[in-house]
Amino acid sequence: MLTRIMKHEWRMLVSDRTLAGLVSVFALIVIYGLHNGTSWTRFLQEIQQAVQEEEIQRLGKLKEAVVSFEQGKADKVVPDPRSAASVGASAGTRSAFLPTTALAVLTVGQSDLYPSYFKVTTRSKDTIINHDEIENPTNLLTGRFDLAFVMIALYPLLILAISYNLLSGERENGTLALLLSQPVALRTYLLGKISLRLIVVLLLAVAFTSVGALLVGISPTNTESLWRFTLWTGMVMAYGLFWFSVVMVVNAFGMRSGANALVSIGVWLAFVVVIPSFVTIAVTTLYPVPSRVELVQAIRAASTEANAKGSRLLAKFYEDHPELVPEGAINLNDFATRSYAAQEEVERQIQPVLARYDEQLIRQQAWVDQWRFVSPAIVAQEALNVLSGTSVARYRHFLNQVDAFHREWQSFFIPKIFQRVRLTSADIEAMPRFTFVEESSGAVIGKAITSLFGLILPACLIGWIAIVRLRRYPLSE
Amino acid sequence: MLWRIARKEFTELVRDGRFRWSAVFVLLLLMASVGMGWKNYREVSAQHRTAQEAMRAFWLNQGEKSPHSAAHYGLYAFKPRTPLSLVDQGVDAFTGVSVWLEAHKQNEFKFRPAQDATAVRRFGELTAAMALQLLMPLLIILLTFSSLAGEREQGVLRQLLSLGVRKRVLALGKALGVAGALGAILVPATVLGVMALALTDDTGALAGSWTRMALMGFLYLTYFAVFIVVSLAVSAQAASSRMALLILLGFWIVNGLLAPKAVTDIAKRLYPTPSAFAFATDVQKALANGVDGHNPRDKRNEALKVQTLKQYGVSRIEDLPVNFAGIALQADEEYGNEVFDRAYGTLWQTYTNQNAAYQLAGLVAPVLSVRALSMGLAGTDFEQHSHFASAAESYRRMLVKKMNDHMIDNAGKQDFAYMVNAEVWKTVPTFEYTLPDVRWVLGNQITSVLLIGVWAIAGIVALVVASNRIRTD
Repeated sequence: MLTRIMKHEWRMLVSDRTLAGLVSVFALIVIYGLHNGTSWTRFLQEIQQAVQEEEIQRLGKLKEAVVSFEQGKADKVVPDPRSAASVGASAGTRSAFLPTTALAVLTVGQSDLYPSYFKVTTRSKDTIINHDEIENPTNLLTGRFDLAFVMIALYPLLILAISYNLLSGERENGTLALLLSQPVALRTYLLGKISLRLIVVLLLAVAFTSVGALLVGISPTNTESLWRFTLWTGMVMAYGLFWFSVVMVVNAFGMRSGANALVSIGVWLAFVVVIPSFVTIAVTTLYPVPSRVELVQAIRAASTEANAKGSRLLAKFYEDHPELVPEGAINLNDFATRSYAAQEEVERQIQPVLARYDEQLIRQQAWVDQWRFVSPAIVAQEALNVLSGTSVARYRHFLNQVDAFHREWQSFFIPKIFQRVRLTSADIEAMPRFTFVEESSGAVIGKAITSLFGLILPACLIGWIAIVRLRRYPLSE
Repeated sequence: MLWRIARKEFTELVRDGRFRWSAVFVLLLLMASVGMGWKNYREVSAQHRTAQEAMRAFWLNQGEKSPHSAAHYGLYAFKPRTPLSLVDQGVDAFTGVSVWLEAHKQNEFKFRPAQDATAVRRFGELTAAMALQLLMPLLIILLTFSSLAGEREQGVLRQLLSLGVRKRVLALGKALGVAGALGAILVPATVLGVMALALTDDTGALAGSWTRMALMGFLYLTYFAVFIVVSLAVSAQAASSRMALLILLGFWIVNGLLAPKAVTDIAKRLYPTPSAFAFATDVQKALANGVDGHNPRDKRNEALKVQTLKQYGVSRIEDLPVNFAGIALQADEEYGNEVFDRAYGTLWQTYTNQNAAYQLAGLVAPVLSVRALSMGLAGTDFEQHSHFASAAESYRRMLVKKMNDHMIDNAGKQDFAYMVNAEVWKTVPTFEYTLPDVRWVLGNQITSVLLIGVWAIAGIVALVVASNRIRTD
């Protein structure tokens, strides 16, 4: 019986021009979303490439200069390029890059808000991490039209639009009572109608996404891209399932078509707009992140104090690090060494201030991870961000590595600065390099799987409520 | 007759349970968002005020230094919160909160509050502006979609018209009735908003922003009026009330959801934002090799030397009655200013062009015009951010010039060994910033003002035409 209903529905759907219209509009929107994601990712890759090229050129020149100094060929007028202070702070700096994943084209996520690379120098951490990409704030406020946006906000609307009046429409046409005089249960009838639409819409969503993904160059032979993409489409299917369960329960309550439409849009508004904004309020009230204004003040206070201590700090530094005392006399007025001694003091003092931001943000993220299940839109968005490598978590993972690299960089140069040794070409070769270690696949898969359950379980529950509720369905107005 | 129809519509709505519930819901949301906005405004503006004072104290107590090293030390400027940001936070979360004012460089604003938040924030923040721009139109649709089409379906319309009620009067009366019912939400919300402004620590907040507030009120009323007349026009012409609802919901989705995001990518395509790297590289190149690429720094310095010697009629730097290091610093600073004016001028023009695309898209989605104007009136749009940035930059230039001039006149042969103290720091006035006036704001938003006007007029015309041709069966 179910298959017969589905067959019949299929014929109805095919002959109905509205569905064809909706699907073609949806296809256009998917293409537009993919296109935007692709051009954004290309922009990020181009920046990284430009930064990298500049770096290679600069380091090449530096090495040449150092070699010519070592061989005594250099012109005396040119400043000595072998100073550890100038190489570590400017001439020899390297950047740490956060590579884009293959799926970044599907979800812009948070990648427009955070920089995709940091220039690492011997200077203090706060000067390294306050680099930003330039962007018009109005664009950031509005957000991007990427495929994830299409799937999270628009795809539910497509589902609601084609199925909000499955029973009420029949009833209003007077055909429902007639239909049920045949040997068919209302439950089977509704399930048949919904299942067919579910299959059609989910297949279309997967087909559009897959064809699009192939076109924008996500390789199906790469294992990493493949599992990420499979989970990505899995999320889209589970999210679709959730919205079908919503529309089923809306149908089961026996309201008129107009009321169904209004309730559907109300539910959509609640899940996609209102609840997320409440989650933001809750999390910022529970774990407020202190204003960065405090950080600015703390840095200023610490550096003013450190600079005032000046030579005393340097003397203390040499007492603490006797191994770094240069050969010959100590010059307590030397600018470079004095400023690094002061910097070390400042970094030590602002460390707890910087840590407070990170701690609060980690708490916020943990809370959101727990409470994201209150809205399937949050569940889906977070999961799609994670799978595409544009989540806050991956960015934090990157920041931690940048922090470690920065410390490595400092411990390579700062002792040399204090010892006042001249760098050799071997030193230039041995300068630390940054390599990004990807997030563990286990964590990403784990988060995606819990998110899948976080969509499928409520969908089953809501579907069950709908079926129970159907027993009391009014067959006439 | 008009008033009688309006009163009937009003009474019917107010007695309707659906309206009551949704009205209570929207009102609660509005109150909560105003409350949050108020709390946020108070906290942030108090923080910025204290920080600004602390920075001034740091500046005054920086001890004995050479004037140039004081210019390097510089100051931080913190972007003040505008009182009406409690209604509309605009782009505030996406622009940095502070900028370092130091010698040689016009810096970018750092620390965007949105970076210190989870990704959920990108769904949008609960602000009064969000409730007014997105939820109120939905409520209006809910109230109006069936008001003409539904009466036709029930057969009441034909009876009504047979009584000699003029169609236009009927439609207008309905519009007034709906407007009255909305008043039940808007009046308490406005009272609360005004009270919130009056209760800030900032005594001038209410007095200083009443023009902006009145205009903002007028703006939103016009926006709601547009939705009322458009909805009624659709209701008059649609085949059934269900069809009217679907058309209106479609319009609501395009208006509030599709159009704004679609414009982001179109605007960026038309006027691409440069990367931070390209921007910094261009500035560096212009500083080193001259704006035209043929005027390198050492050549500029050499020319300056010759010119200064000639001006004072001496042949050696040592014989100058003024300090040449100071002159060179100031000349380099002025050259830099030109470079920065050009670089930031181009960048900000790109943003302005992108924002113009949003404004123009108000032709399709009136919410975009309303959003632009609302942010403008609240003082939280990009234009007012750049207004503040320019003010901070002028202050930086003044400060640096003061330090350099002091060096020119007093340093003699000591150059950078010349030390001064708080007496000199005191000669730099405190940084004061005043918001631009309303005319300036509206000047930036002419397109939006016009388009909202066009929507209002077109909506009224559509309603009149649609109601005159209303189908009775």
